[in-house]
Amino acid sequence: MPTVPASPAAAATRLRHRRNARTLTAGQLANFRRAITAAQALKDDRGYQAWAGVHGLPLPVHCTHNSPLFLPWHRAYLYFFEKSLQDRVAGVTLPWWNWTMRHDEGLPAAYTAARDPKREPNPLRSSPIHGPGREPGGPSRTRRTPGQEGAPPLPTLPQVKAILELTDFMDFQSQVEDIHNGVHVWVGGTMSSVGTAAYDPIFWAHHTMIDRIWRLWQLRHPGSGPPAALLHRALAPFPMTVRDTLDMEALGYDYAGTTAAAGGTG
Amino acid sequence: MVERFISDPIELPARDGEDHYRADLVFYDVEHSGASYEARVFINAPDADAGTPRDDPRYAGSFCIFGHGGCFGDTGHCDVPSEPRDPFDLRPPHQLVPASKTVVITEAFKRLVAPEDETMTVTVVAFVPGPDANDVLQFDTIRLLTYQ
Repeated sequence: MPTVPASPAAAATRLRHRRNARTLTAGQLANFRRAITAAQALKDDRGYQAWAGVHGLPLPVHCTHNSPLFLPWHRAYLYFFEKSLQDRVAGVTLPWWNWTMRHDEGLPAAYTAARDPKREPNPLRSSPIHGPGREPGGPSRTRRTPGQEGAPPLPTLPQVKAILELTDFMDFQSQVEDIHNGVHVWVGGTMSSVGTAAYDPIFWAHHTMIDRIWRLWQLRHPGSGPPAALLHRALAPFPMTVRDTLDMEALGYDYAGTTAAAGGTG
Repeated sequence: MVERFISDPIELPARDGEDHYRADLVFYDVEHSGASYEARVFINAPDADAGTPRDDPRYAGSFCIFGHGGCFGDTGHCDVPSEPRDPFDLRPPHQLVPASKTVVITEAFKRLVAPEDETMTVTVVAFVPGPDANDVLQFDTIRLLTYQ
């Protein structure tokens, strides 16, 4: 009797881990910078300018703020941008900026150094802003004014811990968004305007931290999440709904402080 | 748009003996089309202004606005429709529909509002970092919510 050949065993899938920007190994940081540099060199819809423009300028502004879709939309945005970086350098992930720590340092050194260890310009320090992405009369490169007079302080760990205790998703999201807003104001310059913020490379590290806080909240409050009425909502322009953003295993990533690996018996 | 706002006295809810475990100030219809800013909130501090520090005992918290920085479209692009939406209009809401912001003021409320108080006032002071003017504050209503 003929038998149907068994399907090959599904390849074991490995979640990729997003890591703390301050504790990347030299190799991890070099790979991430290489991916950003390669994306910045592309002028088409795979490139950095195209991805940054999805958030704000050029019109239309796609991002969702002051909206019940704030966290899901930005999770989808990070997911697709990270995928585009992985097309440039396999396996890279977006690092997160833990702005609850090292307030004396402010921005992580990886994002402020003028040059990388090979003396090449650091692509995380600033990025070009192509013409359609600029505000009228605006600069052609991103700029920052971190912590200038009148800016709110960076969030603290107790603030984040208090927010993680909130049990209702909409309440949690509202408070997280306010912390998020404050960091945009603290960084200043390009980051302080919805239209241009995503051109600054620190934008991605900031939003990865926001996404991480949502992930921590999901772990603390299993079964809680966006109201059912939101789950089918589309997250334009991404081919995802709110429901699609809730399962990290399906998205293939998670968060770790650090990761290190060594070869096996191979 | 103003840089500082002092509310009329807000009538405080009656207490039935049980302590509030949480108190919120909700700001409705906050404008966010312009500059980004922080709005610092003080309770019973009508004299609070740009020189009043966050460690003032009457400081209750703040909210931050991530602003759109102006209008980059043609005439009418940033006009928020004032008519109620057609129920069959499935497009997302206009980007500049005013926001609601909730400031959790539980500790300040417990510290600054005595059980016998009948009213409280709220002062809001806006800060735009850097040299730009601070007259960015615009909202419709404040509501005090307490939870028992």
